[in-house]
Amino acid sequence: MVSLATLKRTAEEGLRYLRRQKDIQESEVFVASNDGLTARVNYTSHIPCNGVEEPKSTSSYGLGVRAVFQDPKGPRIGLGSDAGDLSLDGVKEALEKARRSAVHDPDFTTLPRPSPDRRTLTKYHDPSAMNMKDADLVHAGWRVLTRALDEFAKAGSLQALAKTGPTLRELGVIVGGDVTVLLERMAIASTRLPKVQTDESTLIASFVTAMVEREGAKGTGYGCHTRLSAMRGDAGAEAARNALSAVGGVRIKDGEYAVILGPQPVTELMCNLILPSLTAASFYDCSSAFHGRLGRPVAHEDLTVYDHGALPGHMGSKGITCEGLPTGRTDLIKNGQLVGLLSSFYETERMLRDPAAKEKLGIPPEDCPGALVPRNGFRFAGGGRRFDMAPSVAPTNVFIEGREKKTREDLLRQVQNGVYIGRIWYTYPINGLRTGDFTATIVGDSYMIKDGKLSVPIKANVVRINDNIHQVMRNIVGTASKSRATIIWAADEVVYAPEIAVARLRLTEIAGFMDAH
Amino acid sequence: MPNFSKAITTDLVEVIKNTAAELAADAPRTYKLCRYADLRIEVTEEKHAGSENGMSKYAYEDSHIACGIRVLAGDRTIAPGYVGQVLGKADLSRLAQTLAGGLKHAYARAVINAREKARIRDKYKDLGEALSDTRLAPVEVQRDTVKADYAIDPRQVPLDDMVRYITEVSRAVQDVDEQLKYNAVSAVTLVTRELFTSSEGACIDQSFALTKGSVDVVAVSETGDQELSDTIGHQRGWEVVTEGIVEEHIRNLDLLTFSTILARDAVKLAHAPPLRSSDKEVAVVTDPHFNALLAHEIIGHPTELDRALKMETAYAGRSWLLRTLNDTMIGKIVASPLVTAYSDPSLPGFGHYKYDHEGTLGRKVVHIEKGIFKGFMNNRQTAAILNVPPNGSCTATGAHLVPLVRMSTTVFAGGARAPEDIIRETDKGYYVVGHRIPSIAESRENFRISAQKVYEVRNGQIGQLYRGGGIMADSKTFLMKVDAAGRDFRLFPIPNCGKGQPMQGRRLGNGGPTLRSRAHLTGPA
Repeated sequence: MVSLATLKRTAEEGLRYLRRQKDIQESEVFVASNDGLTARVNYTSHIPCNGVEEPKSTSSYGLGVRAVFQDPKGPRIGLGSDAGDLSLDGVKEALEKARRSAVHDPDFTTLPRPSPDRRTLTKYHDPSAMNMKDADLVHAGWRVLTRALDEFAKAGSLQALAKTGPTLRELGVIVGGDVTVLLERMAIASTRLPKVQTDESTLIASFVTAMVEREGAKGTGYGCHTRLSAMRGDAGAEAARNALSAVGGVRIKDGEYAVILGPQPVTELMCNLILPSLTAASFYDCSSAFHGRLGRPVAHEDLTVYDHGALPGHMGSKGITCEGLPTGRTDLIKNGQLVGLLSSFYETERMLRDPAAKEKLGIPPEDCPGALVPRNGFRFAGGGRRFDMAPSVAPTNVFIEGREKKTREDLLRQVQNGVYIGRIWYTYPINGLRTGDFTATIVGDSYMIKDGKLSVPIKANVVRINDNIHQVMRNIVGTASKSRATIIWAADEVVYAPEIAVARLRLTEIAGFMDAH
Repeated sequence: MPNFSKAITTDLVEVIKNTAAELAADAPRTYKLCRYADLRIEVTEEKHAGSENGMSKYAYEDSHIACGIRVLAGDRTIAPGYVGQVLGKADLSRLAQTLAGGLKHAYARAVINAREKARIRDKYKDLGEALSDTRLAPVEVQRDTVKADYAIDPRQVPLDDMVRYITEVSRAVQDVDEQLKYNAVSAVTLVTRELFTSSEGACIDQSFALTKGSVDVVAVSETGDQELSDTIGHQRGWEVVTEGIVEEHIRNLDLLTFSTILARDAVKLAHAPPLRSSDKEVAVVTDPHFNALLAHEIIGHPTELDRALKMETAYAGRSWLLRTLNDTMIGKIVASPLVTAYSDPSLPGFGHYKYDHEGTLGRKVVHIEKGIFKGFMNNRQTAAILNVPPNGSCTATGAHLVPLVRMSTTVFAGGARAPEDIIRETDKGYYVVGHRIPSIAESRENFRISAQKVYEVRNGQIGQLYRGGGIMADSKTFLMKVDAAGRDFRLFPIPNCGKGQPMQGRRLGNGGPTLRSRAHLTGPA
């Protein structure tokens, strides 16, 4: 990776050069270096396999220039970037690209101006992760796998199955997933900001799915860390244990069920439906499920949701945004009421000037000054902080809380009879974000709830959820106080998700033909 | 040492070709335990423009270079190691050293991985037996050059012209109706040149142009609202967007006409009543645009052999078409005799290529022939496991990413019926037009896909339009109940298909004719 000092020097020298250009009104240099290391695991006892399938890495570094050019018809804003060149030549190249691509955007006001907030998070990354070696990466993948195999090898239930029928291998033991380490460094300098700022972060995640395929039993394990030393392969062991618990799964009939949603389903709903609807951009383009409802109830009064990017020890934390502004806490839903939106500087500025803002938000923007603070302008598109794109709105650490301190046992007692849903898949706003309609299938870690206790497991892939997020949010009957850092496939944000009990959820039995297959 | 120009252009591939070929060819000699190596280099020159509500929002012109390296190595076992890197102009003067360094790095990973595999295999007696050497099925070694096809070279399109055109389209969409509250129009035009070299002696230099136009609209009426998004595109030049394309299987309107039609549809839908979900299956006639996504989801994905071999269990899912190596659906009935489906990289559009990213010649792969399941798309590694020939279905979104088994262009084959006859003979049913959003079960055994428009069909006549509609069915049940296939076979671009970890979003093609089957209707919850 490129050192932070080099990134900082590039930003400083680059801005100095840009300041000297006569046709530039204002400008910004964003420099980044990102490494993504992944050990992808694929073990299948019944099919020849590699175990650790892909020990791999991708790396990139470069700089982006945003510049506002003077023009008789009005200022023009342009973005240009250059990969792999942190010299002044790189800055000049990026500037020329920005000049060629500059457009007149009537919604643009200025590059990000300093926020009244102060940065609170510094030096929070893990230096050992920054120096990760090839062997560390490969061993991390094998560690996850062997922790899972240990669980399967010692499982009495599998040994019993293997004695009476197929061998252990023929039962179809699957362990898939990965260990991913993301290393990010960035520096930003702007004519609008008082000084060059830098940030450095490490994210370590492991996500594992295990199966006893012949039994249709699937389990998940995962871990999100900021320190390499915390990655001990526990996700593999957890996934295997959960798969073993899921042996003997049953089908369920169509109907409305009282449910408890585990941390993963809660995160799926947050990342695919709720958070995309809680951005200033989705209110501007009229696609939010909460269009026109700022200041009004959008969920059961038990529910509170906020984003906080400045908490030490949390995986989604960043010291500053990719606009050079401090991260911090943004309240989104407070006791069921919509109170704030995730925003970038650009989105906040354009909403404040939008003649239709009152209709879009539900109240005039001047009546809710705290609702549009730009704490979430990031340049994420997978693989770190991208130097070749403009900031857009992205969550960081998202927290979900209830008012009462409840345990899982409290929720189970409350539901009495229903379904515990531990993992869902392909959760999409099936009729567009704005309607709130969604669908997903239950793919593992799920159980019937009988007489206030977890009962038999539910077979994987036999239930589809067809419902609406507004109904789910209104029908919340309890939220556990304990939450778990959860990340889903291809998401940049981390949701600290509790278990949530919902009075009614519409479930449909599917794929009956598979039983005869 | 090759001489490089100052800029990143597709011509760079010509300059680095011999060096990359030598590096790959020498790898087994340079590295004692190396059994195989391949190098991929990709250069893209691209331009983007986007507008919202008639206002220009961004433009972007850039070129990129990236490389990816795979090494299979080991002594007691063979295992893979990979390295990928996005490069820049400053890397050009040391490109040969960068590639050599990457090769060394990938080799080190493969060797460590192989040693660990051998150790773990010994440790777990029974469960350890599945840990095997990484083997690649043999392919004919290719040395070839493939040129890009376009009328208007994307590299020659002035960015200002793109911005002006896209902004005009966005303005035209805005003028369609005051109930259109938002629109976004964007386009990209690019040329990519890919180089593949391997220790087996392959050296493939293939280029393609690609142009895509997209539109998003939101219409809000007093009674309802509607979001719609759609895309046009082809592996051709800028003419795709400004003039459209009329080919045997592709009817690509120009972006202006395409966008304003979509906007009018959104306004109509915002006034239409919501579709009610049905308790029982009903007759559904699905149009080619809808069936493009259906083919993608219930034919293409479950016939990717890496999924079927459980390699995507944690991410994109498995396939109901293969339980174990001895228990597959090959040779079994999975659909009505009217259903034939295949993947074919020689078809035109986003999914077109001659060679995949392992240097394998792309072939047509028949998945279902008259209702009988025939086989999977594969790569060299999965083909070796199934002991079948590789069929050239392994691609990556960028050279720095690991290639995966991906669709080229996966389709339902055309039938013999006139589509209007299929509707005319439907007494009671629904006409499902245009795909929107899919949600598919993990092994692709069930789907729910929403449509742009759903019309009631009564006595063979198209009637009431509904919004928020779609269909849901078990995949096999739907395929078995197909009782009509139209002769109106069409291809469509799919702009973003996600697979892998880290996720790779890839453009590819899908298509089909009008079909009639039975499914549950799904409406707003």
